[in-house]
Amino acid sequence: MDHIVVSNLTKKFIKKGKRRFLTREKEEILALDHISLRVKKGELFGLLGPNGAGKTTLVKCLATLLIPDEGTAVIDGYDIIEDPISVRKILGITTGGERTLYWKLSARDNLKYFASLYGLSSKEAEERIDYLLNIMDLKEKQHQRLEKYSTGMRQKVSIARAILHDPKIILLDEPTLGLDPSFSMFLRSFIKNELNRKEGKTILLTTHYMEEADQLCDRIAFVNKGKLIVVDTSKNLKRSVSKNEVLEIKCVGNVENLVGFNAYMENKRDYTKVKILHENTEEIMDDVLKIIKEKAKILSVNVKRPTLEDVFIHLTGSELRDDYE
Amino acid sequence: MKMNLRHYLRAINAENIKEWKIELTYRVDFIRGLFEPLFYVLPAILYGMAIVGGRYSENLEKLTGTGNLITYTVIGYVFMGFLETAVWGMGFALRKEQWYGTIEQVFAAPVPRWVYVMGMALHSTMHQGLIIIMQSVVIYFIFGLVLDISGILPSLLIIGIMMISLYGLGILLSSLVLIFKEGWIISEILYSFMIIVTPIAYPLAVLPSILQKISMYMPTTYGISTIRHFLIGESLGFSVFDAVLRLLAIGVLWVIFGLFIFNIVDRRVRNKGELGTY
Ligand SMILES: Nc1ncnc2c1ncn2[C@@H]1O[C@H](COP(=O)(O)OP(=O)(O)OP(=O)(O)O)[C@@H](O)[C@H]1O
Ligand SMILES: [Mg+2]
Repeated sequence: MDHIVVSNLTKKFIKKGKRRFLTREKEEILALDHISLRVKKGELFGLLGPNGAGKTTLVKCLATLLIPDEGTAVIDGYDIIEDPISVRKILGITTGGERTLYWKLSARDNLKYFASLYGLSSKEAEERIDYLLNIMDLKEKQHQRLEKYSTGMRQKVSIARAILHDPKIILLDEPTLGLDPSFSMFLRSFIKNELNRKEGKTILLTTHYMEEADQLCDRIAFVNKGKLIVVDTSKNLKRSVSKNEVLEIKCVGNVENLVGFNAYMENKRDYTKVKILHENTEEIMDDVLKIIKEKAKILSVNVKRPTLEDVFIHLTGSELRDDYE
Repeated sequence: MKMNLRHYLRAINAENIKEWKIELTYRVDFIRGLFEPLFYVLPAILYGMAIVGGRYSENLEKLTGTGNLITYTVIGYVFMGFLETAVWGMGFALRKEQWYGTIEQVFAAPVPRWVYVMGMALHSTMHQGLIIIMQSVVIYFIFGLVLDISGILPSLLIIGIMMISLYGLGILLSSLVLIFKEGWIISEILYSFMIIVTPIAYPLAVLPSILQKISMYMPTTYGISTIRHFLIGESLGFSVFDAVLRLLAIGVLWVIFGLFIFNIVDRRVRNKGELGTY
């Protein structure tokens, strides 16, 4: 059975630009471009894409915070446009961003407030909050205001808030963005082992960390510029390029004369990174290096097995994140 | 359905409690807020006394049937405080959530929007109630007020009915500030306008006739005058029954209009993705 069915979901935004005499420049952004996908019951599904891909927009549409322009989604049988209140009841969500809780209130008071919004009685709420604070290891600081918490601790409270009412389906927008490795590890394991494996929750999470999608998700959807590129398991995605190797060259100078090689080039601050996916890199290595040397200086050469990141580059022509390496 | 009502009432109460908790973390500001209105009412009283040369004004008596300018002005100012509830308390509740960054999380919860509105109304009314009690006590000790005790209960009833309209106004403004960056200007203009056309410190008779006409559409006009009628015997240009009827009619209209605009704004921000932006 499918817990989330997204069909043809489309969302445009108008971005206002500079003001000109009496008019204003307007730019239309297609944040979601006819996206269709299905998430199975009990599945941990990942949306992987770079900045501006449309991940948050998709999550907000599903959470009924945005009304789509076209298409719709059905969540456990309830349509997001026709029956938003029923959808909200069975969804737990964390929208990205740091300030989604009351910083002036303690963790416990935050959770108590949201528990009431989700219809828990005060007895149910107390029990559930105790349980969640324990499991998140926040019991000791539960009465401290969130302004004194670290980012990682606040994110734990955010996730506790999302699952207060024990929802069937959980949407997590970049759950580990900007966290220390220890917190990321804790949360990833919590999401995978506790929520997904043990409690059988259906989870849709967005990320632009390739390893996160790789480690956690049963299936991964690549999104780029509002478009769904491909949906598959990490294994299959990697298999699609498994015969290949990646030739990675760092160099300084002009490498535009490499066009014939289907190379992916990226300008970093101090150097240019060239990546070429090929079945047998040894075969082309000499030629490639020779061409590069014509107009540039080579800093390093590497041959690697392709990662999910390389699959993404191969399919979309863009990299997952700006701060790669 | 019964389950839902329980859930909604709980949510309204939680909203109220949350607002108190946040407010009380700013202690100094909270205390300042309790006493601030005194600084508006005191000059009006003292100015009046200086001009008239005492607390009794023959002219006021001729116009309103009651000549004690202190009680007249104090009652006007104190109860006009409930306009603050609507304009600043409720009007900015959602804007504050935007500013905290919590509005999307809050709106993702399974309660209809009117539940938040009721929660805001409950909190800001209680807050204003506290301010009014503080003011009344202080003024009582400074000037000594003589009121008709038997008028207190009917006055509370009138306040209750007047609040319906003010909640309508609060609902309207709370949504408008979500789409207009400078929403406070709308609030400020409406607020000032209502202050002018409501007989707070002066009787209606002193206003230009056009403003007097407009005044007859303001809930505060009926509210304040009728309260004074019960407490100090101000003579009314209408019957108490008429006042209640008109208050109810204005109340229903304003609430319907407020909810109507609120819904339009809610759709608009969800269409344009403006909800979380501040
Ligand atoms: N409220 C809005 N108004 C105008 N444009 C918007 C709005 N929200 C998003 N956009 C634009 O829509 C596109 C998709 O944004 P979205 O936030 O969904 O991307 P994302 O995949 O979540 O990216 P990130 O990794 O940065 O969080 C971006 O170009 C963004 O600038
Ligand atoms: Mg995002």
